[in-house]
Amino acid sequence: MASITFPNPGLPAAAHATHATTERGWVRWTLIAVAVTFLGVFLFLPLAVVFSSALEKGFAVYLAALREPDAMAAIKLTLIAAGIAVPLNMVFGVAAAWAIGKFEFTGKSLLVTLIDLPFSVSPVVSGLVYVLIFGLQGLLGPWLAAHDIKVIFAVPGIVLATIFVTFPFVARELIPLVEAQGTEEEEAAITLGASGFQTFWRVTLPNIKWGLLYGVILCNARAMGEFGAVSVVSGHIRGRTNTMPLHIEILYNEYQFAPAFAVASLLALLALATLLAKTVVEWKARQQAAELEPRSGEAL
Amino acid sequence: MSIEAINITKKFGHFTALNNVDLQIPRGELVALLGPSGSGKTTLLRIIAGLEFPDSGTVRFDGNDISDRTARERRVGFVFQHYALFRHMTVFENIAFGLRVRPREFRPQRAQIRAKVQELLKLIQLENLADRFPSQLSGGQRQRVALARALAVEPSVLLLDEPFGALDAKVRLELRRWLRQLHDEIHITSVFVTHDQEEALEVADRVVVMNEGRIEQVGSPDEVYNHPASPFVYNFLGNVNLFHGRVEEDMTYIHEAATGHVVYVRPHLLDIARLPSGGSHFRARIKHINAAGPLVKVEAIAEWGDPVRVELPQERFRSLQLMKNEQVFIIPKDVKVFPARKEMARAK
Repeated sequence: MASITFPNPGLPAAAHATHATTERGWVRWTLIAVAVTFLGVFLFLPLAVVFSSALEKGFAVYLAALREPDAMAAIKLTLIAAGIAVPLNMVFGVAAAWAIGKFEFTGKSLLVTLIDLPFSVSPVVSGLVYVLIFGLQGLLGPWLAAHDIKVIFAVPGIVLATIFVTFPFVARELIPLVEAQGTEEEEAAITLGASGFQTFWRVTLPNIKWGLLYGVILCNARAMGEFGAVSVVSGHIRGRTNTMPLHIEILYNEYQFAPAFAVASLLALLALATLLAKTVVEWKARQQAAELEPRSGEAL
Repeated sequence: MSIEAINITKKFGHFTALNNVDLQIPRGELVALLGPSGSGKTTLLRIIAGLEFPDSGTVRFDGNDISDRTARERRVGFVFQHYALFRHMTVFENIAFGLRVRPREFRPQRAQIRAKVQELLKLIQLENLADRFPSQLSGGQRQRVALARALAVEPSVLLLDEPFGALDAKVRLELRRWLRQLHDEIHITSVFVTHDQEEALEVADRVVVMNEGRIEQVGSPDEVYNHPASPFVYNFLGNVNLFHGRVEEDMTYIHEAATGHVVYVRPHLLDIARLPSGGSHFRARIKHINAAGPLVKVEAIAEWGDPVRVELPQERFRSLQLMKNEQVFIIPKDVKVFPARKEMARAK
């Protein structure tokens, strides 16, 4: 913020804070105290509880809980689901942002709305939709059963639900970025003889890479943490169709608090790593944005 | 390479950007497309480049129809108003881009690319800034890099879209003289778009004046300035006084029972005198005098009440010793008469 200081008219200039927007001392301290308390109670305390509960019975128990075969299976399944959903949504998000940001076509606003759909629909509902489509009584159920393909209560269903729920993250992040950058650099690349792929790879992608990474990080965090939609399609078969969040719930319901929190601590660590990565990427993206010349001003 | 645009029409929705435009540009010329915004000049340039495709019409390079070729295949150098430099690449990499993206069999070797880029950096006088990023350059430097980048691929024609539009006045002046000099050295067929008549008249071999999707006149700067083909051209290329008048045989009467003729006089083609001359003249009262600059700008009110702008050389002004509110006679030295058309209404 620019620090423009001027005396407050009507009051003795020296007696009060010189910033026009600065509050009196006690107001400031009260506001800070409220914010810190809020943060502490709602964010830091739960985080601390997760880790302390996880380690309550010692590090050996903690490790054993993670090494337990069902836990390992849950971790593996979570990694598989995220490992498929994130790259797919990355490709889709880049394609959608490219189409929406660089071209004009009819139905564009409809497409944008559709991309946002998973944000506005409850995850449980999206899970149910998949059950209605792929379940035994569902639309494609009989056909799938006849060909011995299991989607619901199996890994494919979990992957599908994860893809659906994490659909908008990358696209949402990239669309405004791509729109802001316009098409001039791409046009320049084409007149210089670059092919479509070269233009994308050498010009478009480097310009959106930080935004893309940011979207991928958020997408990944959600993919690993998704509960509602996955819960509906999973069937909760231990060691087979339980992801980490589902596994935690089962352990918790069975009063196995230490193992539940041990697995939960992994998700919490993921959250912390995500926050850290997000901060780094945001910082990098801001640097890149600073390089983006203030075009409108210069054009005048 | 010569460029021909034949019967080009382009519409954006209901807006007709180009209406049946024909243009021939001979090899090696530096041509300006001049016109107000919305006149279709940028659209014409982009159609020549292959960045836009016309609804109808043909584009030919050296007589060959290239209408169906993409921008990539046309081998044109294109310079954008806002430079469009690749912001994540250094100056060096920007200039080398066109060489690096060539198919392997046509791609020069590393050393050759380096030599070519060095040569271009020397040409644009930015040898020391090869490792800078575009954000670290001034506007004028960026535009020179953009030009070098376009020249690196040895294009058959060079197309520049308002190349100096985003620069401040002083840099713009320097850069356009530099462009003229550059063209005299490398003789590449070049077309640049501008809305600045001074720029077009100073830099170009030929000026194409455009208005409302049509070409009003094509000619040398001297021709379009001194022999304008239409009131629009006369009006667009410099300041002008506009009178309604009547034409009878070889006489023109200003402000007398108008017969639908319009009389245009440039301010510097009017003289002021204390006594009526033998020839044409009219009475006026001086309202305002601005003596700053090479010409003294005098605003007067004609006897029928319309404002008149006169530009006098400093010596003439000093010898007359004009005063505000003085009654004087204004003597037109040269006038241009056009039959009234609807363009007049749009004259600036």
